[in-house]
Amino acid sequence: MATVEERVKTVVARVLQVDRARIKDEHSFTSDLGAQSVQSVELVAAFEEEFGVELDEDAALSVQTVGGAVEFLAKVCQEQGAKT
Amino acid sequence: MSVRTKAHPLEDATEPDLLEEVFDYGLPPLIRFEGPCVEHIDGKAVEFDPRSVETRDVFITDTTFRDGQQARPPYTVDQMVHIYDLMAKLGGSHGVIRQSEFFLYTKNDREALDRCRALGHKYPECTGWIRAVKGDFRLVTEAGVKETGMLTSCSDYHIFNKQKFKSRKECMESYCEVVAAAFEAGVRPRCHLEDVTRADIDGFVLPFIDRVMDMGSHVPEHLKPKIRLCDTMGFGLSFPSASLPRSIPKLIYKVNHECGVPSSRLEWHGHNDFHKVHVNGATAWIYGCDAVNATLFGFGERTGNPPLEAAIFEYIALKGRLCGVETTVITQLADYMRSIGAPIPANYPFVGRAFNVTSAGIHAGGLRQDERIYNIFDTRKLLGRPPRVNITDKSGVDGVALWVNDFLGLSGDQRVNKIKCHKVARWVMDQYEVHGRLTAISDQEMEAKLKELMPDYYEKRKKS
Repeated sequence: MATVEERVKTVVARVLQVDRARIKDEHSFTSDLGAQSVQSVELVAAFEEEFGVELDEDAALSVQTVGGAVEFLAKVCQEQGAKT
Repeated sequence: MSVRTKAHPLEDATEPDLLEEVFDYGLPPLIRFEGPCVEHIDGKAVEFDPRSVETRDVFITDTTFRDGQQARPPYTVDQMVHIYDLMAKLGGSHGVIRQSEFFLYTKNDREALDRCRALGHKYPECTGWIRAVKGDFRLVTEAGVKETGMLTSCSDYHIFNKQKFKSRKECMESYCEVVAAAFEAGVRPRCHLEDVTRADIDGFVLPFIDRVMDMGSHVPEHLKPKIRLCDTMGFGLSFPSASLPRSIPKLIYKVNHECGVPSSRLEWHGHNDFHKVHVNGATAWIYGCDAVNATLFGFGERTGNPPLEAAIFEYIALKGRLCGVETTVITQLADYMRSIGAPIPANYPFVGRAFNVTSAGIHAGGLRQDERIYNIFDTRKLLGRPPRVNITDKSGVDGVALWVNDFLGLSGDQRVNKIKCHKVARWVMDQYEVHGRLTAISDQEMEAKLKELMPDYYEKRKKS
């Protein structure tokens, strides 16, 4: 099964329409990957769907980087008992 | 270069201070004064205490059917009766809207007056309006009203250039004859000093008022004359230190204190030619006029009069309480006015379609977190109009989420978060970015998209 990091990067590439191979952990969703307001929310929605979790809106939208998202989702999955 | 004369250290806080003693969300923001204001009048410093408004019996008088009708096609009798009935409900039993004046010239004018009086409301009391000519006075006695306004124009523009009097003395005598006729008929005269802010105050206005007050010194209290100061062209100024004849504070002081017209018999009537109409009316209250004359939604000759609904909110803000006013009736009146073809601009305060509607996503974001951030007061409670969002390319996800929650009637913890609204938000953005749309998205379109893209939430709302 793919790791959290791989799944996050796949979702980011699909939603933000960027080359998956180019995505790095330190990339900021907005300044490096060009996420606009709606896309940030679409990204959070896509993470919920991919991992089968409910994300707190404020906490999820405050995550700035790809690496931050990996860490955040791993923690939420553990808390909510979702498969990683 | 400016030099700092006082240091202002930060008062750090970890909890917000929302200044609720002034910004009580359930009321319009309260108006608090810290002390007297001073005007220099005839070389003398004169103090006015604006806090007196809290305890004085200030009130609103209405001229929707007189000045308000001069700016539009006539109302039908049924329309006038309905509007009057709603105004009575709005002003409440304490008579915050104390009087309403009626033309007495046509059969329709008189029928409207009779039917309004037949409703039996104590307030607004129905009064009349005539020109200051003896022939017109017959109309007053026939109508059986207890008080009538009479046009006593007081600038030389009117005395000489319009009415063609040969002298001020001849003019004054003519006006006084009608005042005397009112007393004889047992009707209280209300002298409308038209164009007072462009008149010779010392040369004509005050001598005329002195004369009227002398005439009234021998009549019983219920017939004592009233003085309406008419800022016919909107020249009045509220600014401290402005000079006569434009200074509202100085004008009121002279009439009130030099001529001895008590505040209870002193009224301000303004026009909006210079966008000063509402604040000038409130200024008149503060400086000693108990009555401010107003019209619903400011409809009136040319640029209009003080908007009555704005005077209502100013009244509550000055008094610090509702005083029996039913503010939600303002929305009913606006809906009725629109239904009979009276246009109200969308951005018009308190009643315009968009008065508390934001199109900006950043404001919608604020509203979503705490509606007080971008709503003037609890418009849901006071006007039956919750703050709303207009969906455009500027609305953002916050705006869409606000619209969705508003439509679904959800608040607090029940609210749908914006993550759940992402499909609708995407559709909105694509309207503009992909399809090049240039118009706002209607509520009907939004409802259709909600049904399509968030069917579970839509169905729940339909069932509830």
